[in-house]
Amino acid sequence: MDLELSDEQRWLDESINTLLERQWPPAQDAWQAGDTERTRLWESLVEFGLVAGAESELGAIELCLAARAIGGHLASVPLLGSVGVRYALAPVAAGLPDGLSVLLESASRLSIALLEPGGGWSMSGVGATVTSNRLTGIKAAVEHAPSVEYLAVVAVVDGEPGLAIVRSDAPGVELTPQSSLDATVPLSRAAFAEAEVEAVFEHELAATIIDRLLSIAALLVAAEAVGAAERIFALARQYASERRQFGRTIASNQALRHLMADLHVRQASSWSTTLYAAAALDDGIPLAGQTASVAKAYVSRAAREVAHGSIQVFGGIAFTEEHPAHRFLRRIIVREQQFGDAAHHERELGRALAAGAAARERPTAVSAR
Amino acid sequence: MQLTETASERALAEEVRAFLARAGLRSEELPHGLDERMAVLRDWQAACHAAGFVGRAWPAEFGGGGRPPAEQIVVDQELAAAGAPEFVNIVGLGVLGPSLLRFGNDEQRKRYIPTILSADEIWCQGFSEPEAGSDLASLRTRATEDGDTFVINGQKTWVSWGQYAPLCGVLARTDGSVARHRGISMLIVDMSTPGVEVRPMTQITGHAEFSEVFFEDVVVPRENLLGELGDGWKIAMYTLGHERGTAALPRQVKLRTWLDRAVSVAARRELDGHPVLDSPEAQTALARALVRIEVLRHHAYQTVGEFLSGGAVGAESSSVKLLMAEAEQELAATALEIFGPTLLDGDADDDAENDFWYETYLYSRAASVYGGTRQIQRDIIADRILNLPKE
Repeated sequence: MDLELSDEQRWLDESINTLLERQWPPAQDAWQAGDTERTRLWESLVEFGLVAGAESELGAIELCLAARAIGGHLASVPLLGSVGVRYALAPVAAGLPDGLSVLLESASRLSIALLEPGGGWSMSGVGATVTSNRLTGIKAAVEHAPSVEYLAVVAVVDGEPGLAIVRSDAPGVELTPQSSLDATVPLSRAAFAEAEVEAVFEHELAATIIDRLLSIAALLVAAEAVGAAERIFALARQYASERRQFGRTIASNQALRHLMADLHVRQASSWSTTLYAAAALDDGIPLAGQTASVAKAYVSRAAREVAHGSIQVFGGIAFTEEHPAHRFLRRIIVREQQFGDAAHHERELGRALAAGAAARERPTAVSAR
Repeated sequence: MQLTETASERALAEEVRAFLARAGLRSEELPHGLDERMAVLRDWQAACHAAGFVGRAWPAEFGGGGRPPAEQIVVDQELAAAGAPEFVNIVGLGVLGPSLLRFGNDEQRKRYIPTILSADEIWCQGFSEPEAGSDLASLRTRATEDGDTFVINGQKTWVSWGQYAPLCGVLARTDGSVARHRGISMLIVDMSTPGVEVRPMTQITGHAEFSEVFFEDVVVPRENLLGELGDGWKIAMYTLGHERGTAALPRQVKLRTWLDRAVSVAARRELDGHPVLDSPEAQTALARALVRIEVLRHHAYQTVGEFLSGGAVGAESSSVKLLMAEAEQELAATALEIFGPTLLDGDADDDAENDFWYETYLYSRAASVYGGTRQIQRDIIADRILNLPKE
């Protein structure tokens, strides 16, 4: 057991932040970045080695470090699906069909399609179906859909949850833009009408892959929210130490000192729990999925709380469009909603506690082993 | 970062499980009366120490295990999973032991550390005074040098385990002529010394876990000075850091056993004809408490690893302290809310269970006061982590 980041992980963290500072506009301008900037940043991240094949050595910890940096810079790239799907497939990389291996080895971008109109984030809401290698159904809020080459679609296969990989420009795939609170996380509705699938996972294998996919996705969006919250809080702290009212800097008021201390606790503990859950996933610890749920449940509310508190520190200026505060808030809210909000994960954890008691065992939710 | 246990950690976990199968003790089995409970808890810590599970990362030459800090986490985890109670010498293990290791001389360490680990000698701490609570540096208890001795006069309060402890770490003013922080020293006081009077104070729980302690011309040999003269404040801050940080590890273990207990009670109690645990609201409330406890554990692991073995304590321990109070208070309030009317109408068996939850709830109110109030922790974070200007 070793609870500290390695030197390589620290280096990766610093390097990605440096890369983003050079390749991406500052927070207040990030929303204006167009396809050119987005594509250029994506290429830099690929070159950096963030998007490797399914046999990549990048673990959930490294990917969460990257996601945190992306959230902090409000970068707009399809990282989530591209690295999430590769990470989920890593344990079965050796047995993948050749075509899929080639796809993953290349720099292709992917996006995850799970949510359906009127449904939630659990598998029970999935109605899309694969029959004879053709996918039919509707998915909602698929991020970056027009700019990715492939969609990883959670669908019913042979009566059970499965995962289909579909080309986003395949005949029968129709993408319709949806409104998104955060313009830097564009969302689309994806309709599939007997669209041809490139690869499909079913039965037990699919269950394992989907579990891992949902866990890594929840952690990546949590890490992005942590990054965004960290940055808005840093800006608020700096502002409070400079802004003067009543003849003194506002940060010297106990009311604000204590508010900011509480925000620090939320911020720091959010990152600790995300990192711990990422390590649990990397180590293949049983119940790593529940640990990911703990992290996502906590960060979903905590990141928002940090954003709210920071906006309060800024006062009126943070309510203006030109101030970047709302850009961070928007990113945080969208990431909160993706892959299960606090309520979703609390329900899941609560059911696990009840199931543990029902099994006449000691409740087994979340242990270090 | 790697959570998977190494081969030796796995072996240790096996060893703890084997020990528990042979000689395990569950929190529910503890007697309710404080005196009886103390006796059982001392035997429990002694047995765990004999097995090598207490002070696993403390130096071997003083009776510790001399092993990497992670091993203590492995042990704590196994004990928690089995519902075992926490170690009773909590002030010795979490507070004064680490200070002795850091600031004590070898003679002091040889004399005191082994019996802290074995629970042969329970420790208490004499810090707060009636007029010196959050403003600890204003303390008035005086230790006057007299040849090879100090003579202590004054009064301490909120002295946890005072009536069970043969030894006390006392903060006293040894120099009234310098700035208030600088004139304070830390003395180890034998509680059987003439002039020491312990008056147990009954808490809102009905138990008398803490005391007032009065010192009247109490003579303490000079060799009982911890560190140098005037080091008291520095030691106290280090000590309190430990109380906040290191103590979170056994505390989160205990909170986890309480959560598990709440889940099993919710599974067997009925409300309106259905088990409490069947209600989605109860499940969600328990899940929220679980999240708080888990986050406390994860943040404590990130924060305390380095000082489990006696390293420096960072200000981040104040964050851990805030999370600890939050988790405990949320769990206790959750129990009250989900058990609801069943708390008012228990049969004889359930009465004991109801008492436990009422006591746990009442006790939880102390969590944001002891070891530095929630407001003091926020001040520490604002000053030392966020570097915000002072008022």
